[in-house]
Amino acid sequence: MRIFIVEDDPVLADGLARSLRAADYAVDGTADGGEADHVLASQNFDLVILDVGLPKLDGFEVLRRLRRRGSRVPVLVLTAHDALGDRVRGLDLGADDYLTKPFDLPELEARVRALIRRGQSGGSSLITHGALTLDIAGRRATLAGEPLELSARELGVLEVLMLRSGRVVNKEQLAEELYGWDEEVGPNAIEVYVHRLRRKLEPSGVSIRTIRGLGYLLERPSNGG
Amino acid sequence: MAASTRTLRRQLLAWLAAPLFVLWSISALVDYDIATRSVVEAYDRSLLETAFDIGRQIKVLDGRVYLDLPEVAVQMLQIRESGRVYYLVSSEDGKFITGDPDFPPQPEALSFEGANYYDGVYQGRPVRVVGVKMPVESGGYKGHVTVQVAENLAGRANSARQVLLRMTLPQAVLIMLAALAVWYAVGRGLAPLSSLQRELSTRSHRDLSPLPEEQAPEEVRPLIRAMNDLLGRLSQALAAQQRFIADAAHQLRTPVAGIKTQMELVLRQSPAAEAQATLKQLQNATEQTTRLVNQLLSLARAEPGAGRGQGVEPLDLVRLARDTTTEWVPRALSRNIDLGFDSPLAAARVEGDPFMLREMLNNLLDNAVRYTQPGGQVTVRVAPRARGVVLTVEDNGPGIPEAEREQVFERFYRVLGTGADGCGLGLAIVREIALSHGANASLASGASGSGTVARVEFPLAA
Repeated sequence: MRIFIVEDDPVLADGLARSLRAADYAVDGTADGGEADHVLASQNFDLVILDVGLPKLDGFEVLRRLRRRGSRVPVLVLTAHDALGDRVRGLDLGADDYLTKPFDLPELEARVRALIRRGQSGGSSLITHGALTLDIAGRRATLAGEPLELSARELGVLEVLMLRSGRVVNKEQLAEELYGWDEEVGPNAIEVYVHRLRRKLEPSGVSIRTIRGLGYLLERPSNGG
Repeated sequence: MAASTRTLRRQLLAWLAAPLFVLWSISALVDYDIATRSVVEAYDRSLLETAFDIGRQIKVLDGRVYLDLPEVAVQMLQIRESGRVYYLVSSEDGKFITGDPDFPPQPEALSFEGANYYDGVYQGRPVRVVGVKMPVESGGYKGHVTVQVAENLAGRANSARQVLLRMTLPQAVLIMLAALAVWYAVGRGLAPLSSLQRELSTRSHRDLSPLPEEQAPEEVRPLIRAMNDLLGRLSQALAAQQRFIADAAHQLRTPVAGIKTQMELVLRQSPAAEAQATLKQLQNATEQTTRLVNQLLSLARAEPGAGRGQGVEPLDLVRLARDTTTEWVPRALSRNIDLGFDSPLAAARVEGDPFMLREMLNNLLDNAVRYTQPGGQVTVRVAPRARGVVLTVEDNGPGIPEAEREQVFERFYRVLGTGADGCGLGLAIVREIALSHGANASLASGASGSGTVARVEFPLAA
């Protein structure tokens, strides 16, 4: 997995590179927009982390040229500006995600993982969460290698929660995802599925947390327990 | 004169009244001269009449010249409203014929061709005297006598005074009426300034838009224009200052991101306990710096005059609050705080800037999550109220003493002994954003008497 970091602040660039190398990514980088454009035109990467405020050629321009060449490499834009206009502009130009400085390192790492996973769409359909593994294509779940008995709807709920692990999923979103399996799914039905799912996952240490008035959250293994 | 009495009205009055008073004084002097002259003329003429009346009654009988008037008639002639009149009839060679014996002597040069007036003293009092030479033709006698009549000056002075009073009193009344008219007219004339003053005093501190100029009279327009010019420069300066704060904060973000990243990396390398303690402190300081930088940015954006890119639009406050709260769940969970959302409303339409409102709720949530002890509870609510909706963020944390609930809205105010490190800008931002939405931000204690409820009351969308 090759990641290209375009960041002109040496301290931040070094921190990013070292954290990503520690996670076994191959990391290259430059502090110069012009050079970034040049490198991106000639080499392939699995992810680009792009700062907006760059000398010579700004990040938006690098991104625009990258997309104009037809490259579909996932791009995570870093910016010191959190104004909505900037965010919209970045996404319009073809950025895949957006982080405002200063960010938490685990947050960046999670986004990097998600973007790389998305970039490999069509590849593996396995999602893992601690001891839990879900095969989206095979519609099967295993817990520590052992198959987990789940109904189709329970599996549907688990899939949504796992795809957005660490984030809150509300009942409307769950109902929407399950819609199409059969007739409309009401909020009360969702509660029943979550309740059953929770019981079956109990031994794994993976927990589904109810967030009052907001929905459910599959806790990250690190803070589950 | 005290500075407070230097009102425009008083000044105008003084400037008008002083010259009027001077003119009135001059006019009084002139009037006095005119009055005296006319009184003198009138009295002199009347005195001369008396002299003629007496002269016409001079008769000659057997060569003896005498006044042919009974004593009663003489007395009638002599008595006047101004006092007694004295007379003296003498022969051509100056011999006494009849009259008051000690009559003041005439000046030597007097020729008595026609009527002659002069001032003299009679019985110790100033008198006016007229002397006239009259022909006597009676009983074959043909000659002249001199008739002199004197009267006290007191009567004349009295009359002159009265004439003067009659002339100057109406003038004084006129001046007073003029002053009243000026007093009233100045008030009327200054009405545009009063309305300007009302316009300015009812204006919100965030409104730096130009004052209306069309209604004002020509004389006030330059003042309004100058004020508008100042307002313009003020809002430019304010915008420049906010741009500077925003730029500075933006510039700070990248190095802070660098420090933060390096800090997290080094903490992952399981350093020695001693170093770890130091690093933890550094990490806290970095967190605080991060927060301050972000809050400075929010504040610069929330303040009046900031060129806010996003406009006001109709939005659903329930949805905005739910989405924003959702984003805070991971942070709340990492501090073991039970964060929830609750709303009896399906939707609540308000007019607002979604970006700023999110920023406001972020700050309220940041405070609630930061100051509530682990295991605590934080709940965001959107509820209806009499004429609008209210957004509340309630926690069961340590609460804020009642005495400090207003002060915490001030910049850089921190409640003592809260333990958590903040920089005290959060609520100042909340208030700025609330104000710019016509909303009211306040703090109260929680339902159970402990904890804190932050309330932001919105008016209904128009």
